[in-house]
Amino acid sequence: MATTADTFQAHSDDHAHDSHADHKPGFFARWFMSTNHKDIGTLYLIFAIIAGIVGGAISGVMRAELAEPGIQILDSVIPFVGVGPGNFDEALHHWNVLITAHGLIMVFFMVMPAMIGGFGNWFVPLMIGAPDMAFPRMNNISFWLTVAGFFSLLFSLFVPGGTGMGAGTGWTVYAPLSTSGSAGPAVDFAIFSLHLAGAGSILGATNFITTIFNMRAPGMTLHKMPLFVWSVLVTAFLLLLALPVLAAAITMLLTDRNFGTTFFDAAGGGDPVLYQHLFWFFGHPEVYIMILPGFGMISQIVATFSRKPVFGYLGMAYAMVAIGVVGFIVWAHHMYTVGLDVNTKMYFTAATMVIAVPTGVKIFSWVATMWGGSIEFKSPMVWAMGFIFLFTVGGVTGVVLANGGVDDALHDTYYVVAHFHYVLSMGAVFSLFAGFYYWFPKMSGRMHSELLAHLHFWGFFVGVNVIFFPQHFLGMQGMPRRYPDYAEAYAYWNEISTLGYMIMAASMLLFFANLVYAFTVGKKAAANYWGEGATTLEWTLPSPPPYHQFETLPVIEEHHDYHNHLPGSTAAAH
Amino acid sequence: MAGNVNHEYHILEPDIWPIVGAFAALTFTSGMVLFMHDMPSWPIVLGLGIMALIATFFAWFSNIVKEAQRGDHTPVVQLHMRYGMILFIASEVMFFVGWFWSFFDFALFPSEISEVIGGQFPPKAIEAVIDPFSLPLLNTLILLCSGTTVTWAHHSLIHGDREGLKKGLWLTILLGALFTSIQIYEYAHAPFAFGGNTYSSAFYMATGFHGFHVLIGTIFLIVCLFRTYRGHFTPKQHFGFEAAAWYWHFVDVVWLFLFVAVYVWGGWGAVTH
Amino acid sequence: QDAATTDAATTEATTSEATLDPAEAADGSTEEAAPGAGAYTPMKPTPGKGMPVAGGIGFQDQYSEDGEFALWMHDSILLPLITAISLFVLGLLLWVVMKFRRGANPTPSKTTHNTLIEVVWTLVPVLILVAIAIPSITLLARQYEVPPKDAVTIKVTGYQWYWGYTYPDNGGFEVISNMLTEEEAAARGEPHQLAVDNRMVVPAGVPLRIQTTGADVIHSFAVPSLWFKIDAVPGRVNERLLVIDEPGVYYGQCSELCGARHAYMPITVEALPMAQYRAWVLAQGGSFGDEADSDEEVDAAPLQQPESAIEGAPGAGAPPVGTAATTA
Ligand code: HEA
Ligand code: HEA
Ligand code: CUA
Ligand SMILES: [Cu+2]
Repeated sequence: MATTADTFQAHSDDHAHDSHADHKPGFFARWFMSTNHKDIGTLYLIFAIIAGIVGGAISGVMRAELAEPGIQILDSVIPFVGVGPGNFDEALHHWNVLITAHGLIMVFFMVMPAMIGGFGNWFVPLMIGAPDMAFPRMNNISFWLTVAGFFSLLFSLFVPGGTGMGAGTGWTVYAPLSTSGSAGPAVDFAIFSLHLAGAGSILGATNFITTIFNMRAPGMTLHKMPLFVWSVLVTAFLLLLALPVLAAAITMLLTDRNFGTTFFDAAGGGDPVLYQHLFWFFGHPEVYIMILPGFGMISQIVATFSRKPVFGYLGMAYAMVAIGVVGFIVWAHHMYTVGLDVNTKMYFTAATMVIAVPTGVKIFSWVATMWGGSIEFKSPMVWAMGFIFLFTVGGVTGVVLANGGVDDALHDTYYVVAHFHYVLSMGAVFSLFAGFYYWFPKMSGRMHSELLAHLHFWGFFVGVNVIFFPQHFLGMQGMPRRYPDYAEAYAYWNEISTLGYMIMAASMLLFFANLVYAFTVGKKAAANYWGEGATTLEWTLPSPPPYHQFETLPVIEEHHDYHNHLPGSTAAAH
Repeated sequence: MAGNVNHEYHILEPDIWPIVGAFAALTFTSGMVLFMHDMPSWPIVLGLGIMALIATFFAWFSNIVKEAQRGDHTPVVQLHMRYGMILFIASEVMFFVGWFWSFFDFALFPSEISEVIGGQFPPKAIEAVIDPFSLPLLNTLILLCSGTTVTWAHHSLIHGDREGLKKGLWLTILLGALFTSIQIYEYAHAPFAFGGNTYSSAFYMATGFHGFHVLIGTIFLIVCLFRTYRGHFTPKQHFGFEAAAWYWHFVDVVWLFLFVAVYVWGGWGAVTH
Repeated sequence: QDAATTDAATTEATTSEATLDPAEAADGSTEEAAPGAGAYTPMKPTPGKGMPVAGGIGFQDQYSEDGEFALWMHDSILLPLITAISLFVLGLLLWVVMKFRRGANPTPSKTTHNTLIEVVWTLVPVLILVAIAIPSITLLARQYEVPPKDAVTIKVTGYQWYWGYTYPDNGGFEVISNMLTEEEAAARGEPHQLAVDNRMVVPAGVPLRIQTTGADVIHSFAVPSLWFKIDAVPGRVNERLLVIDEPGVYYGQCSELCGARHAYMPITVEALPMAQYRAWVLAQGGSFGDEADSDEEVDAAPLQQPESAIEGAPGAGAPPVGTAATTA
């Protein structure tokens, strides 16, 4: 890949005999029986966007309720889910259902499917020069299990869950609120939702690890792999090792609820705190599962638009490995107030802060990649730069929370909500949009509007900051999270926060307008529409790539090392 | 698939079973919810879910076997399967970590407050535990034995001794069935009931999930036996068999941990039965 | 922290007399303030003290030594540091935007390694974190100081959805605390959502042994102006030392999702000079001395049912949700 232009050229010539590879099955077979990584990736992306709209709409209802003190709309939302006007407790229960659904949908049905299922499926095989995933059929069941999980969560909304309809346990599903505290089938449906989506993710994880270890094109050594592939590899290991522990924990919830076991029931000697240990042993790696693929995408994008190879490639790769490993031994920082003993709390304080070091390596290496570069501010790049700044802000508040003694005042307040929305609704979501604008023309073959994409960025940037920055203030002033109603003193910043939601929502309209634009009047996308900075293998293929790519494997030549810009070339022999 | 394919990977035709399987799983879990809350029509939903799941597994693995027989499983695809199986077993290990975590939590920090526990382990409510050195020890020996018979089968297979393969498999399956029967007998005669306290919760769920895995492993071996009679497997290529053997050894190792931790250590000092 | 004696605290009594508002007694809503009405009048809260302030952007003022230390650690170490780091990264980004735009720098450099700088940006964060760890560990050690033998024990039980405060050292009476309605709170000049009918009354300036437990699900006993938060977990008793600097009313709220009325089970701690505290205890029918063995009392009944609760009030003690249904 000395110059991408060469390879692009090579492929335009290739079109004639590429056509056989473009033979697609009929509509039903293609979309409901797919064994094609790109189609499955597309399904995942569509699913994630739908889930994002649902989860984002729910957060709109939440922000509307929180706009001022008192209960304004929870009463009127209940009829919406088919229950009829209820009593006051049902209205309040509905709040808990909303935040639970919002958290679960955003985490399990928006970010994870988009990053790993969507972009991972699409670009891991392309970037390592593989024709497809290792287990194409299993790839498809991973997707449909995610959909099945989503349905199970939807079912839960329409059945009793204790004080009202739906599961109102929070996304953490803490016992005993989720066991003896929530009669009715709703929580069981929610638990099974996690079982189903989790099974899909575990299968997906084995698929990605196998694909990355076994299907790299000749010459594509681990140390030449694009960083996005590295990020998915590490993420897959986190999924593989963390999710089964969650599965065990929520199975214990099920048997406690229905079959008389007492894992978390104090009367039978069980311990509610045990559930928290098991949950967070999964839950903390989970937060890195949600951000590592984002790190990977940001690395690709920053390098592309700086026209420079990634700075400190190996450091970047192993920083992710370090984050993944250390991520398994810090879980109890979510449990500082449960009554841990002092040594445990000191240990988790120290261990948690360690993660700031490899994360800092990543932040600074991105800046160093830009340093000396020739930066072009195309839409993916502005989202990436927004990511770097806002993720840092979210990360450093994490370091504040990491201090067990300080966290005593912040735990379960809006400061935590602000922290994790900075890393998620800004970190993870910014990287999603960055990746989306980066690869959308590659996937669809149509160019989006750069102008709309930039406007979307600025609207979203301002919106989410107005939503979430004031939440730090609320948290420090003591406003607890998971509250539908609050003291008068918190009214001011809550109103501002809701205002921010409207700015954000308006910018999202531009996002959807841009999709419409691209599919109606968008220009056809060339193979490498970003130019010479884009050096990974997907840019050697036409946009969209043929239905089956790399039927002849590309060869990455021995001496080629694009990360160091050493000479060499990648050529698909025809 | 389409022509001109110059690689050894396995590109598959579209397939209906993934979507069927996923919705079968949803039907099954929904049926479970209906069952657990004794809601109307649960037998239909649950039954349908289970049948659809079985059908999916059957069709799915039949397809894999057919593809294997057809020669789709090139060396690199076999390597995929090795990776896949190892990773799957790794995730299973983490699943058991969850159950052991609970068990050790209960054993090392027995509740002082709960009356049924009384600050001791096994708890006050447990009048007697199962004597680890009677049936459980026997079961340990049975499983260890089955580990050797499956290895015997493997060696026979590698050396082209089909009869030895059959014998080894038959023996392993019988030993597996024997283990399960003894386990069921043990449950039926256990001196403590299911649930109600941490000991019996952790005991039944951990050994129960192990038993479930023994069942799966046994079915896996039975499939291998069928395939052997059909003339499948060659001394060079028999990953289906190897996967079953790996799984069997994994189940074996989990049992050893259960035996040492739950039966022997976990019942130490208690009245045995 | 020397174990503050009863006498030491009593001397402070006079100074805080002024904060007591006798007018409160005339207020109609106190009729139902049930136990102890008469001999004791709820202290009027000082605006801005022990409660959130409108539009506030920082922590609440602190009224415990640990709280002051923690606040110092946040305001003087953590906040400046994280602000600096964020601005530093922002500055770097703005710098590259200016200097390395395509317009400003048409030909990119090829640098991909610089061992020195990589070592620097690994080591400097390590040093910063070590520097944070020192006060952080100190803070933890302080928070975990064991309450002295003569500390006043208050056992806090979280119920769905109200709090119960038991005084095992004083005969073991339990005060049940429900949220006031908006009208009631207004009538008493207290902030709605934070005010309760019966407060957790404690002596100021002496070590308190706060024990928490949950009766049904997990709740969390949290008072921001004391930097105090400890979960109330069923089947466990958590214990933490608390010393409140001066008399006053300190508001808090339940801080662990506990079901429908999680937002409606506030906490009001009223710290009184020792003399008044003693009077309050006696008015509750409590006592001083050795009649009640505190240790036994503590272990006794974490799973107890509440003695009383006001029917129908927001946050009033309904039976734990769904118990009937679950066992059915
Ligand atoms: C993408 C998701 C994501 C990410 C990446 C992180 C990253 C981090 N998180 Fe966060 N966190 C969440 C998602 C995430 N978190 C969620 C969802 C919750 C709440 C769950 C719930 O309760 O519902 C949570 C809650 C949470 C808590 C518990 C708070 C509480 O409930 O009381 C804590 C406490 O330690 C914490 C800490 C951290 C730390 C130290 C990091 C670190 O990884 C951050 C590291 C990054 C940086 C520090 C910035 C860049 C570094 C530099 C520029 C170098 C220089 C910096 C220094 C020297 C400091 N997080
Ligand atoms: C990834 C996770 C994620 C995301 C993106 C968001 C986004 C938002 N969240 Fe959420 N939130 C959580 C995870 C997330 N949240 C979690 C885990 C909790 C805790 C729940 C609990 O307590 O149990 C929570 C809780 C929570 C609360 C606290 C509730 C309470 O404690 O009572 C609030 C309140 O304002 C809130 C608001 C919002 C708002 C206004 C947004 C807005 O930013 C939403 C705007 C919408 C989007 C940003 C989505 C756009 C994306 C797409 C349309 C898909 C795009 C896809 C591709 C490009 C492929 N959230
Ligand atoms: Cu009690 Cu929240
Ligand atoms: Cu964490």
